[in-house]
Amino acid sequence: MADVEMKPADEKTRKDADKKDEKETTPTPPSAVSEIKSNIALIDRAVSTLEPRFTHRVLRSLAALRKRLNDTVLRDAIAEVYPQDSSVKAVLLSWLPEAPAQDQSMDIDPTPTPTSKSIPAEPVPEAEIYLRLLILHHLLTSPSNYAKATELAQDTVQKMQALNRRSLDPIAAKVWFAVERTYELAGELSDARPLFLAAQRTASLRHDDETQASLINRLLRSYLHYSLYDQADKLVSKTTFPLSAPNPQYARYHFFLGRIRAVQLNYTEAHTNLQQAIRRAPPPKIAPGFYQAVHKLFVVVELLMGDIPERSLFRHPVLEKALSGYFDIVKAVRTGSLSQFQNTLSQHAALFEADKTYTLIVRLRQNVIKTGIRRLSLSYSRISLRDICVKLHLDSEEDAEYIVGKAIRDGVIEGRIVHEKGWMECGGQKTGDGPEVSEMFARRIGYCLELHNQSVKAMRYPLNAHRKELADAEGAREREKELAKEIQEGDLDDDDSALGEF
Amino acid sequence: MAPRPQSSAAGVLALLAEPEPLLKQHALKALISLVPQFWAEISEHIAVIESLYDSDELPLEARHSAALLASKVYYYLEEYDEALSFALGAGSAFEQDSKTPGSEEYVETVISKAIDRYIQTRTAEHPDKVDPRLGKIIEGIFARCIQNGEYRQAIGIALESHRLDIITQIYEQTHDTGLLGYAMEAVLDNNFSLSYRDQVLNSLFPLFPSPTADSKSPHIHSLTRLLVTLSSPALTVPLLVSLVPGEKLLAYQLAFDLVEGGAQDFLEAVRTKLPEGDQDAKPIFDMIRKILGGHESVKLYLEFLKKNNRSDLLILKHTKDVLEPRSSVYHNAVTFQNAFMHAGTTSDLFLRENLDWLGYASNWSKFTATAALGVIHKGNFEQGMAILGPYLPNENGGESTLAGAAYSEGGALYALGLINAGVGSGRTVENYLRDILRAAQNEVVQHGAALGLGVAGMGGHNGEAYDDLKQTLFTDSAVAGEGAGYAMGLVMLGTANATCAGEMLTYARETQHEKIIRGLAVGLAFLFYGRQDEADETVKQLLAEKDPILRYGGVYTLALAYAGIPNNDAVRKLLHIAVSDTSDDVRRAAVTSLAFLLFKNPRQVPRIVQLLSESYNPHVRCGATLALGIACAGTGLQDAVEILEPMTKDSVDFVRQGAFIALGMILVQQSDASSPSLAATRASYAKIIADKHEDPMARFGAAFGQGFIDAGGRNVTISLQSRAGTRNTSAIVGMALFCQFWYWYPLAHGACLAFEPTGIIGLTEDLQAPKFDFISNARPSLFAYPSPMKTAKKEVAKVVTTAVLSTTAKVKARERRKAVSEGEAMETDKESEAKKDSDVEMKADDPSSSGQHGDVSPISGSISNLADGQPGDPKATSKRKEPTWENVANFSRVTPAQFAYVVFPPTNRYQPVRPVSTRDPNLKSGKAPNNKSPASTVSSEKYSGGGGILLMVDQQPGEPSEFIEFTSTAPVVEEAAAASAGAGAPRADVPSIALDASGPEADPPQPFEYPFGNDT
Repeated sequence: MADVEMKPADEKTRKDADKKDEKETTPTPPSAVSEIKSNIALIDRAVSTLEPRFTHRVLRSLAALRKRLNDTVLRDAIAEVYPQDSSVKAVLLSWLPEAPAQDQSMDIDPTPTPTSKSIPAEPVPEAEIYLRLLILHHLLTSPSNYAKATELAQDTVQKMQALNRRSLDPIAAKVWFAVERTYELAGELSDARPLFLAAQRTASLRHDDETQASLINRLLRSYLHYSLYDQADKLVSKTTFPLSAPNPQYARYHFFLGRIRAVQLNYTEAHTNLQQAIRRAPPPKIAPGFYQAVHKLFVVVELLMGDIPERSLFRHPVLEKALSGYFDIVKAVRTGSLSQFQNTLSQHAALFEADKTYTLIVRLRQNVIKTGIRRLSLSYSRISLRDICVKLHLDSEEDAEYIVGKAIRDGVIEGRIVHEKGWMECGGQKTGDGPEVSEMFARRIGYCLELHNQSVKAMRYPLNAHRKELADAEGAREREKELAKEIQEGDLDDDDSALGEF
Repeated sequence: MAPRPQSSAAGVLALLAEPEPLLKQHALKALISLVPQFWAEISEHIAVIESLYDSDELPLEARHSAALLASKVYYYLEEYDEALSFALGAGSAFEQDSKTPGSEEYVETVISKAIDRYIQTRTAEHPDKVDPRLGKIIEGIFARCIQNGEYRQAIGIALESHRLDIITQIYEQTHDTGLLGYAMEAVLDNNFSLSYRDQVLNSLFPLFPSPTADSKSPHIHSLTRLLVTLSSPALTVPLLVSLVPGEKLLAYQLAFDLVEGGAQDFLEAVRTKLPEGDQDAKPIFDMIRKILGGHESVKLYLEFLKKNNRSDLLILKHTKDVLEPRSSVYHNAVTFQNAFMHAGTTSDLFLRENLDWLGYASNWSKFTATAALGVIHKGNFEQGMAILGPYLPNENGGESTLAGAAYSEGGALYALGLINAGVGSGRTVENYLRDILRAAQNEVVQHGAALGLGVAGMGGHNGEAYDDLKQTLFTDSAVAGEGAGYAMGLVMLGTANATCAGEMLTYARETQHEKIIRGLAVGLAFLFYGRQDEADETVKQLLAEKDPILRYGGVYTLALAYAGIPNNDAVRKLLHIAVSDTSDDVRRAAVTSLAFLLFKNPRQVPRIVQLLSESYNPHVRCGATLALGIACAGTGLQDAVEILEPMTKDSVDFVRQGAFIALGMILVQQSDASSPSLAATRASYAKIIADKHEDPMARFGAAFGQGFIDAGGRNVTISLQSRAGTRNTSAIVGMALFCQFWYWYPLAHGACLAFEPTGIIGLTEDLQAPKFDFISNARPSLFAYPSPMKTAKKEVAKVVTTAVLSTTAKVKARERRKAVSEGEAMETDKESEAKKDSDVEMKADDPSSSGQHGDVSPISGSISNLADGQPGDPKATSKRKEPTWENVANFSRVTPAQFAYVVFPPTNRYQPVRPVSTRDPNLKSGKAPNNKSPASTVSSEKYSGGGGILLMVDQQPGEPSEFIEFTSTAPVVEEAAAASAGAGAPRADVPSIALDASGPEADPPQPFEYPFGNDT
């Protein structure tokens, strides 16, 4: 279930992975090759039994496998999977750099001869696409190969569309992700957009939900990358995200939606979407980058809604470091101090720019003031506008009156302004129950029930497990019958002995 | 990182709001190329674009591009209906667009939508209200299909959209009768309404060219199927007449094929409408009329079964010996096994050898035992009365005073019906049965007479017979009324007569007797046989009844109304009932009934039934077993066997019973080579039957299974589909009757109606069978008869049944000697493995009873000796050296799967007048089917059609030819005399013993209780 390539964090994880790559690959190449081989076998089974879950299993291990790939591993795997004189094999190998001389001789002599005989049949086309996906991921690890990767990506996409096999869909969805990465790393993401649009259309015509979900996310990402929020919004409103899409795709979709909504000032919806994204995302340890990215935005949106995020969030091991800048902002907002806010903002501006949250954080200025008012409303049941000015560092009483009025209208505080006397009267605290609370509960319950239903639907029972029970039942019946036979035949003896004892 | 030059279509969209038309035009053009990228943005302005399409100020061309733009936007929005509407409005622009690259998917989607809408409007109330623009597109599609040679696609669309003229057009262009056949099959096998189906068939019929013998036109199969389905004498008679002077052989062939599948009243109508003909034609017409009477083919098949009877008496003997005859359940079991194994073979040797056993029959088991004679002599209608004579009630209506005689009398009447099954309407038999029915007072006799009348007059639509049955019904006697209920449905089979339905339903609601209700409920099902949606109203009514028995009838009504048509709604309804009804009986019936809907695609059934076969409810499981058995009967389908095998060990006895029965049905006529589970199944039958501690029901089922697996002397298959591909009415009805054995054992005899002799019977123009060989291009072992039971088994049998064997031992010894002296010819039959001692005995036994003289064997023997030089060798060696073909003689068994391999060498003197099998041509080209895995070939080609009675063209008409002697046709008279003389003596004994035996048996029978106490 863990789909790891949550791309917002990819830059970082990738770099980490690259570093690990060098360390890890050396001791483990044999297992990587055998893993690829077993994966190919699984794909083969998925195709022959029309059971996509085997393919899903293969793809789940993709992230872990990706870190262990290198030229040798891939070359060995291809050599072992494909028969000696297969044309596909030659094509696949051509994407990899030539092996060093002594390496090559070693490769060809000991390994392929026995294995190529043992696998005489050509694997299914799905296996080829899978291998291409692996090569693509491998090529993306070094910037010198980007041009080659782009070429391979284009070639693979064409091949996929020509094949048009439904059993290919899950792999295709992953390939599209890799294609996007390729274009992005090569800095030509916008070039890929028409390609994605066309492919998305095709996928929707073929009811290929997985690819469609993946492609909608690709498109949204592409739009957001260039800050085309309007286009993104239109795309979202005109397409329906397939219901059967896997969780990671849903998580991404909600994340993008959250971003769009936040930019559109629709914070409540953005909040809901981001919450969904967090819930749907894989565990933080597995996909830390995505988790961090969502939470950055989430914190900002929560602040924009006038709430203060929980303190514990910033102590989360995965988030602690990444969110330190945001933590400062939160502190500023919480205290309602404009000057502190301005200081923090200028201090972390570069970070926020990189996270694309800067524009949102700038909007927080109003919220800082509102938070201040709120704090005031909690502390005082009646306070003059003049005092508000002083406490919040506002310029004039008119400003204060305006801000307080808006806060009351927005429902940030409960109270009223007594204009004649120039003060603000604050209403009682919310008691903590009422329709909103039950609404909130209803929402949570609904979410839980949905989650339960989805898990039930996702449950799988081992095939033909009940046959074993049948066999057991049969055995029991057999024993019973034998017993009956014995009782019938040995009736008298039993009686005799019983009588004898007593 | 700079944004692309064009990141929005807003600029172009703004042009649309300009007042200048020229600008708008330009904008539209520009937008069309932008749509794929910015459709989401453009879709916000769809209203403007639509209004541009409607506005008058723009030139036509611009409006067209506006429509195209709108259509594309809707396409991207997945509003395909709208997209189509605007695409139609786009006219020339759409056509131009279809040529530009990149819009293939768009064009494809719109066109497929166009086809859908076209079909929808054509099938609606007013087919003429089709948008002319839509019509134009469709015409274009037809033209393109025809141009590219994709005729089948065009035919498919034409059929769905009710465009029969297109089919005509295509045919006129190609003159490929295969396409007509395709169209016909499509319309028959898919869900089209009855009236439209007839309309299509009526229009297809004149297109078929007149068949000729020289061309060996394969479409004669299609033609037959079409005529049988339409049942229209007005079409059939002219066709037959047109064949008469020149192609009389073909006319005979057609007549035989019609008899195969046609309903009685249809054949009768053709018979009466055939012209007398002039001097030359008169004998030919007479001959056709004779053939159409149906008796000719029945007689030939009877002869075939008699000649090739390979039933293994040892199996039967074994079963008889281990099943306690005093228990009526077991007695019935052996009766049925015997009946099925010898169905149609006229071999009553077993009965005559075991008169004392027969004597144990009492009451209803006597009824069943007597009725079994009808199964054994099925089709022997010329001697039927003579054979049954001793048992039949007196002509003058006086009833036998002997106690229990009523049961044998009733059974005999039922037997008479079975003998004349399906051909009795309007004959003396029917009148005889009606007379008896009217005169009889005893309800058992009435029951037998009613059932007999029903089976014999099946589908005869004889109103008088119906009235007689109704009178019997109104006496409100449970036993007689039940029989009458079934029979009323049978007589009025498939009429959907509203009056009859009303009467039956009303009475079923009024009466107190469950038996009568059941009879009427199933009778109603027969009434609506094959009426598809016409039955819906009644089905709905019945399924809503409170009485579960009527709902049970409703389930069968639904199943029989859609028999052979996998109507989705009907299947869904049955599946729903199968899991939701409150009555177990109804649920079981619903599962079983699936078989009647799906038997044309036996491969589907295991998949559908799999889950039900694992239901917690044993009745549903039991239903699933029978569904598999009936639907996959004769296929040897491995998937079905795999589901059934674990079910033979189910914890509930009647599920095991069903599984055994179903296995028997599925594995009928399989050989060890073609079905790996055959040997295991046979062994498990023997084991279960011999196991004293097994539940009686399971043992009963195993006996049934043994009967089915060797049905009809191993020369019949069980099939609900006739050779021409139509549904086999009597088989379906028979199976539906068989399913009622749950309540009433005698009805199990109905299964024999589904037995289909499988052989090639070559005839010359005067209906003589010449001697000749043809080639079967398959390993002989693949289609071999199973080897008879081994001696080891016989030892076991000997120990148990000393008394019986001691009487026959001498006879056997004598006959063995005789057999040896008669020469080896008899043994060297093509089935080399069959050469065991016991085989000789078996074969030696047969001649004495049925007058068989093995004349077929010598011909093939000499040739096949060359081919299989390793008779009786273990499998291991024979596998490698086994030849890939064999010679088969005329009048031999050819299993349905084997038909595909049958080839008539061109050097043969006799050539069939029409192709043997419908799939023959494709397979011949392959010519190496032997290496395919047996399971796949056997099951996939089950319904290849063909075979059966074939008329042969004599290539050397001048030369004298050798004919196979018929025991019952040519020398009918003396044979009959001989039979009655030779077999008369023992036969006379049978009733007397049976009658005597009923005397001493003082205790009233307890039909379903196992008499443990008597078991010594």
